[in-house]
Amino acid sequence: MMFHKLFNPSSIAVIGASRDEKKIGNVVLKNLKAMGYGGKIFPINPKEDEILGFKVYRSILDIDNNVDIAVITLSSSQSIPAVKECVKKEVPFVIVIAGGFSETGEEGKRLENELLESIKDSNTRIIGPNTVGIYIPRANVSTALTLPERTSLPGDGHIGFISQSGALGLLTMDMISEYGLGVSGFINIGNRIDMSEIELIDYFMKDDKTRSIALYLETFKEGRKFYETVKEISRKKPIILLKGGRTDAGARAASLHTGAIASNDSIVEGMAKQAGIVRAYTELELFDYAKVLAYQKPLKGDRIAIVTTAGGVGVVTSDYITSQVNGVGLKLARLKDETKMNIKKNIVPFGSAENPVDLTADGSTDQYDTVLGLLNKDENVDGIIVYALYQTAKIDIDLIDVLEKYMKEKPMVAGIMGSKIGKKMLIEAEKRKIPAYPDIERTVKAMHALYIRGKYIGD
Amino acid sequence: MPFISGENILVIDMEVLEEYDVKQMLKRYDIRIPDSIIVTDIPEKLNFPFPVVLKVSDKKILHKSDVGGVIINIKNMDELKEKFILMKKRFPESKFLIESMVKPGVEIIIGSSNDKTFGQTIMLGIGGIFVELYRDVSFRLIPINESDAVSMIDDLKGKKLFDGFRNYRINKEDVVELLLKVSRLVDDLKNVDQLDLNPIIFNENGYWVVDAKLILK
Repeated sequence: MMFHKLFNPSSIAVIGASRDEKKIGNVVLKNLKAMGYGGKIFPINPKEDEILGFKVYRSILDIDNNVDIAVITLSSSQSIPAVKECVKKEVPFVIVIAGGFSETGEEGKRLENELLESIKDSNTRIIGPNTVGIYIPRANVSTALTLPERTSLPGDGHIGFISQSGALGLLTMDMISEYGLGVSGFINIGNRIDMSEIELIDYFMKDDKTRSIALYLETFKEGRKFYETVKEISRKKPIILLKGGRTDAGARAASLHTGAIASNDSIVEGMAKQAGIVRAYTELELFDYAKVLAYQKPLKGDRIAIVTTAGGVGVVTSDYITSQVNGVGLKLARLKDETKMNIKKNIVPFGSAENPVDLTADGSTDQYDTVLGLLNKDENVDGIIVYALYQTAKIDIDLIDVLEKYMKEKPMVAGIMGSKIGKKMLIEAEKRKIPAYPDIERTVKAMHALYIRGKYIGD
Repeated sequence: MPFISGENILVIDMEVLEEYDVKQMLKRYDIRIPDSIIVTDIPEKLNFPFPVVLKVSDKKILHKSDVGGVIINIKNMDELKEKFILMKKRFPESKFLIESMVKPGVEIIIGSSNDKTFGQTIMLGIGGIFVELYRDVSFRLIPINESDAVSMIDDLKGKKLFDGFRNYRINKEDVVELLLKVSRLVDDLKNVDQLDLNPIIFNENGYWVVDAKLILK
């Protein structure tokens, strides 16, 4: 496979490796070491013999071994001759970290063209420039510029993450790692002069580990090709898009109505719907949806049942499910009489056997088990939102076992609120790949993502 | 803001088609247009009934109403003659379109524009003069299929109009068909820069494309 070596490199060279702790060439090397990368590491620096315990090479051409990835930590103008050496060495993947290319103006644009020219007619591919590079947990590879003592990276997981922005990508990964959500790989495409989001989406499509693909894009390299590729792929794997720059004015002067109304984002919106893309509007949503779509099957209808031990949580959830404004516009399931009767038998008299099913503070793990079983059998129910609220006495961590048991049945999303034990439960849910969220809105919106997906797949 | 400055922006290396020609093209795609004739002089008689609309038909005039190029609700031959003389004075070099007047109803817009990233797009919106104010529109990339067309209707805030609202109703099946036809037309032409079918009026007798503008690249 073409990108196999990028995701499973057996050797990495760091061109511009440095002893100076403030330099990127030092941080990248340190990160590779700290990650416990198992392949060979070749620092390149014409003036050093040894850095961080690694033997240093004068030039990449002095290395006898093959090099799968070269990380260039030099300045923009120094990066060009370095790339030329990588081409000579037949390095398949070169990560050019430096900024100062087309994002800075005419001179940068000229340098960028020169950079692209340097790999012409070769098998060397460039990632970037202006990138933090890649993070591949399965291979223990990170070229991130952030320091381990200041940031966390997520563990190995099922979400393929492609980002045009390096910083937003790293910050988002730092955020999701708090609850143990993982990624199958992260690539910051940066200025994307060579390797584009389209090829990487295609890679993640074929990668068995990846179950959903999260994208942060501000522009599209080849819009039509993107659309056609994604339309095909999203039938098989969910694709979630956070599109930055939504409010950019349409760049054209139009004389007719259609042209004048056609903003950038209205067309992206239509394209996304047509291509089966689930759109996110914040970095939090991007991973909330990527998670639920990775772990849970799509909804086949719009009738949602709620199980809670807290009445108010059920009420606000109902509002959020059904409302078009500040809500997602789905429906509350009307439970069958038989279901209600059976629920009633199993809960306290002052509980509610109507949807939202309220077990009250008396609710126990066993009652959850019974009720979830009944709701899964009720054909008026398409999906279930279940709240696992640890705050009352009869709920314990076994509730996660019950949720896990029903993961194979109807689409289910869990809400786990609270800071004391809630966080522990969320982490436990994540370990079992149960999509769970710390508040009502995020829980309902995750369910809605399953609905959007179901609608597209169902066509 | 109304579209007054429009005609000054384009035309430099683009081609504007006359309304009559655009509508004849629509007709070939089985899209309904009002009965009409194109004339340079007052016709002896009309083979469709009054009331009619008299419009200037000239490639150089894209926004006819803005320059007094449209007179509506002409009830008989005498009135037509009178208005024709008036129009001829205003636009001595132009041709004129006489068109059967469509009864009022609900107005929608279907259009197309060429996006620099994604290429040909199609738009459906609740039409009329407030289209740019409310911006209740939905876009897709061309070509579209039937389910795309249906979901475009679903996108609109005013989608209730498609199920009937008071005395107004937009026929859903007609709109789906129209969208598919426009998608095909734009796809066939290949060089559409902008297209507006606005308004398309739905009344108790069906729908008609009342005005159509097309600019080719």
